[in-house]
Amino acid sequence: MERRFGSLGCAVLLLATTVAAQEVSVEEVMLDNGMTVLLLPRPGDPNVAAGWVAKVGSVYERPGITGVAHLFEHMMFKGTSTIGTRNIEQDLQLIAQLDQVKANIRAEETDLLEAHRLGQIDDPNDPARRSIRHRELLEEFDVLLAEQEELIIKEDFSRIYSGQGASAMNAGTSYDYTIYFVNVPANKLELWFWLESDRLLNPVFREFYSERDVVHEERRMRTDSTPTGKFQEQFDALFWQSSPYSWPVVGWPSDLEGITREEALSFFELYYAPNNLTAALVGDFDPSEARMLAERYFGRLQASDRPPPQPRTREMPQLGEKRMTAYADTNPQVEIRYHSVPDGHVDEPPLVVLGQILNGRTGRLYRSLVEEQEVATSASGGQSGMKFEGMFSLAGVAKDGRTPEEVEQALYSEIERLKTQLIEPRELQKVKNQNAASNFRGLRSNFGLMNQLLVREAWRGWATINTDPALYDAVTAEDVMRVANTYFNPENRAVAIYYRQESDEAPDARLVGLDDAEQQQVRQMMNMMSQMSADQLAQFAAQVEQMVAQVPPENQDMAEVLIEIVRERQVAAGSAR
Amino acid sequence: MRCRYCAPMAWIALAVLLVAPGFAEAQTIPAHPTDLTYDLLDFTPPTSAEHRYELSNGVVVFVVEDHELPLVSVSLLVRTGSYLDPADKVGLASLTGGQMRAGGTTSMSAADFDEQAAFLAAQIGSSIGGTSGGANLGCLTKDLQVCLDLFFDMLRNPGFDAGRFALAKSQSIQQMQRRNDATRGIEGREFGRLMRGSDHFSTSPRTRATVEAITRDDMRAFHRRYYHPGNFIFAVSGDVDTEMMLSELERRLDGWAVVSDPVPTVPKPAFTPEPGLYLVDKPDVNQGRVSLGHLGTTRDDPDRYKLLVMNDILGGGGFSARLLTRVRSDEGLAYSASSSFGVGVYYPGVFQAGFQSRSETVARATAIVLEEIERIRTEPVQEEELRNSIGYFVETFSRNFSSAGSTAGLFANDEYTGRDPSYLTSYRDNIAAVTAADVLEVAQRYLDPRKLAILVVGNLEAILAGDPEQPEFSLEDLSLGAVVRIPLPEPFTMVYPVP
Repeated sequence: MERRFGSLGCAVLLLATTVAAQEVSVEEVMLDNGMTVLLLPRPGDPNVAAGWVAKVGSVYERPGITGVAHLFEHMMFKGTSTIGTRNIEQDLQLIAQLDQVKANIRAEETDLLEAHRLGQIDDPNDPARRSIRHRELLEEFDVLLAEQEELIIKEDFSRIYSGQGASAMNAGTSYDYTIYFVNVPANKLELWFWLESDRLLNPVFREFYSERDVVHEERRMRTDSTPTGKFQEQFDALFWQSSPYSWPVVGWPSDLEGITREEALSFFELYYAPNNLTAALVGDFDPSEARMLAERYFGRLQASDRPPPQPRTREMPQLGEKRMTAYADTNPQVEIRYHSVPDGHVDEPPLVVLGQILNGRTGRLYRSLVEEQEVATSASGGQSGMKFEGMFSLAGVAKDGRTPEEVEQALYSEIERLKTQLIEPRELQKVKNQNAASNFRGLRSNFGLMNQLLVREAWRGWATINTDPALYDAVTAEDVMRVANTYFNPENRAVAIYYRQESDEAPDARLVGLDDAEQQQVRQMMNMMSQMSADQLAQFAAQVEQMVAQVPPENQDMAEVLIEIVRERQVAAGSAR
Repeated sequence: MRCRYCAPMAWIALAVLLVAPGFAEAQTIPAHPTDLTYDLLDFTPPTSAEHRYELSNGVVVFVVEDHELPLVSVSLLVRTGSYLDPADKVGLASLTGGQMRAGGTTSMSAADFDEQAAFLAAQIGSSIGGTSGGANLGCLTKDLQVCLDLFFDMLRNPGFDAGRFALAKSQSIQQMQRRNDATRGIEGREFGRLMRGSDHFSTSPRTRATVEAITRDDMRAFHRRYYHPGNFIFAVSGDVDTEMMLSELERRLDGWAVVSDPVPTVPKPAFTPEPGLYLVDKPDVNQGRVSLGHLGTTRDDPDRYKLLVMNDILGGGGFSARLLTRVRSDEGLAYSASSSFGVGVYYPGVFQAGFQSRSETVARATAIVLEEIERIRTEPVQEEELRNSIGYFVETFSRNFSSAGSTAGLFANDEYTGRDPSYLTSYRDNIAAVTAADVLEVAQRYLDPRKLAILVVGNLEAILAGDPEQPEFSLEDLSLGAVVRIPLPEPFTMVYPVP
């Protein structure tokens, strides 16, 4: 199969080490109503990767409606006044009735929630606690639902797509954006325009309450029932103080329980107006036909006269180190996070390059922590820039017999090296070579390219696909050292330590005879010790020995364990007497 | 049955567009998407024969050129697999595959090899899976020669560095510690054992003892035994010239003896799954994971197109399939619910349906899945469901060839598994010919609720207590076989405690 050339127009210069970046020539169409459409024809494979982005995600929410952006994404598959129903008038009437009954049920639930808050009952959802009125309302709700079932054509939207050979149809919500995507056969492009413009123009949020249950299950699957999901969520909330990145995209359970259909609707009106939307097509299509279809279909959307509100609350500067200790079904490990910069900040390219210097099989972390020191089985680090904030995280899993605290110290040593010594020219060139190659690799799949254009569009505009590579290529060793010194400071970080929950959570068998409070104290001191220099350790050992003489008899066993550990650490640090 | 992927109406629409270019703008938007008309999708798949070459030593090479980006990809399939692991050295094949890449070569240290590859931004990999081995190279066109040097040095002269090997063994053993951590992992492992027994290679776990027993000499011998051109199939794609690539491979394989020692065939499992309810307790999660299944069929089964459509309607077809519609859209009981009907290459695959639901509603969701399995066996599917399913398979057929890499890979895989490529020519017609009566017939013949093993992993206390809102559903009442509790094994020995 000899494929025809696409329109990427890549200019390959055979320089000694680096190849020149490609130019992705996208045609940008602005409709009268403010919607942007990006066109990138690429003949060959007779398919079109098609998608659109709404520049809204969970950071546009507020407490009380966390999770609404994601819940809303689910609702966009529930049909319109044409799709998904046998009789739209009756359907709308039933939806209004259901909302009314739901409001009455909510009033009943308020009493139970209050009783639960005051500790009078254990379970606010216990059916036995419900009033007669509450039970009647629930029955009424079920009767209405059953009536509506008769009108609904289930999953009509996805069925129409898949019956016409559309594949990979789905959507995704993140902190900053929501993307809806599908692959359509080249001859079905108009179907995409029809269905996507229809659900933006005439959405009907039916099955709202059962879809909320689905989102609950999604939360259970991704967060609650994975070994570290719920701890990572807590760590996010610990790391971000004032920023909306502190809550999970899927939302807090109590908010999911309470969000109403009206709240979802008003969210839609604010953020799904055409001036907040960009569509992208990549694949086998005729651009003049696509322009015409875009105007005919998306041109129907009503322009909005107000710009969508943007998140206002910025993260407060962190004043002191934060730490979290967790016991989970996982191997002992550590994650360290520093507040850094958002996507597109002038310091982002050096931070990204710094992460690349650390990562991979030939990166510094693997070489040092895994191969030379044998303290970790894996280690990684990297910059994540979101739209409004950013962070740099480092992580490592302790090798058997080593502690997460030791991995933490080893990670700090690597950071210290970056702060005080310039990276080698060959290291830097290696990263640049890899970036040049991965820029090409990122263009291979139409679907990946469509997705990349939309994400970039939600952040700083699609054109950064052409302008960013030069910024990364310009990073110097001095830039890397400068950002290491700017962001990697103890008061700017949060640290999560994970131990395995079970009997082996504390690797020290010596702690077995101690009670819980004593064990906790010894672990804390072990944490402290692991951050001490040899001299500090010697000082600490002297203090502990003095202390041992004074502790009350009931704490004697703890003191002895402590002294034993201190001596061991001194041997390890090469400072034992 | 008319041809589903031809749309005669489209020709008329096309003709109108050609004659009157201004007409399209004046068109109104149809009231419903079913009123849209489409041009004919004129897709003729590339054939295996036009990309297939044989080197002078008999090695088969597929080349698919694509010059849009300055990237080349070389994949190698090797006739080997972990089914060849000795019983006391489970893990040998997998370690050999990984250490070929990680352990340097006889003339280059592991660190130097890694550094060279990384500096060139070359992606070089090697691995051995259950029934095949493989290696791959991805690089920029300008670096092709030096990258091929590295790639073939790895294939021919792996160094199996002692330090890297010790590290890989210790990582493999430490990883065992995680075996009982995630319910997803536990579910996969135990469902495999329920379907295949515990003696088959596909369910034989490596243990601390089997990994510790493996030596560098074992890896060298394994490599020598299976890595030679007689066991190779290449798939090359991207920015290359076919003639150049063929002579390049010819030259690089020169002098590498083709051994005619046949590789043992893949063993079939000698096990019949036992129906029943199997329970694994994982108290600290609030969602249960459920898999139901029994044996499927083989890839050469003449009913496979009917089975494909049947399973698509039942649970394979994502959002529009019955399982997801009932369990998720109707009842809000799960985020995902699906089924697959396995057609194995070497022995029958597995029919599996599964979902995740909060502990209280596991029984109710299980009842719905069983109901749907029963329904597709007793009622013919609706004409619209059938039409949509056929439309999906016919219209997504071209996705198999969406890139030069996927095209070359598909052909190479079929060559490796001995599949006659003519199935690609008749695929769309075979799918389009499936009728509602066919679907009913294969559902009755291939699905058997009485044979289902039902596996549940989660907080058993909450799961067995059921839903106070709907107390009529009980998991224990749903199974037709025994109720068996499976304990968690000791992760390093994989010995299951006797209750």
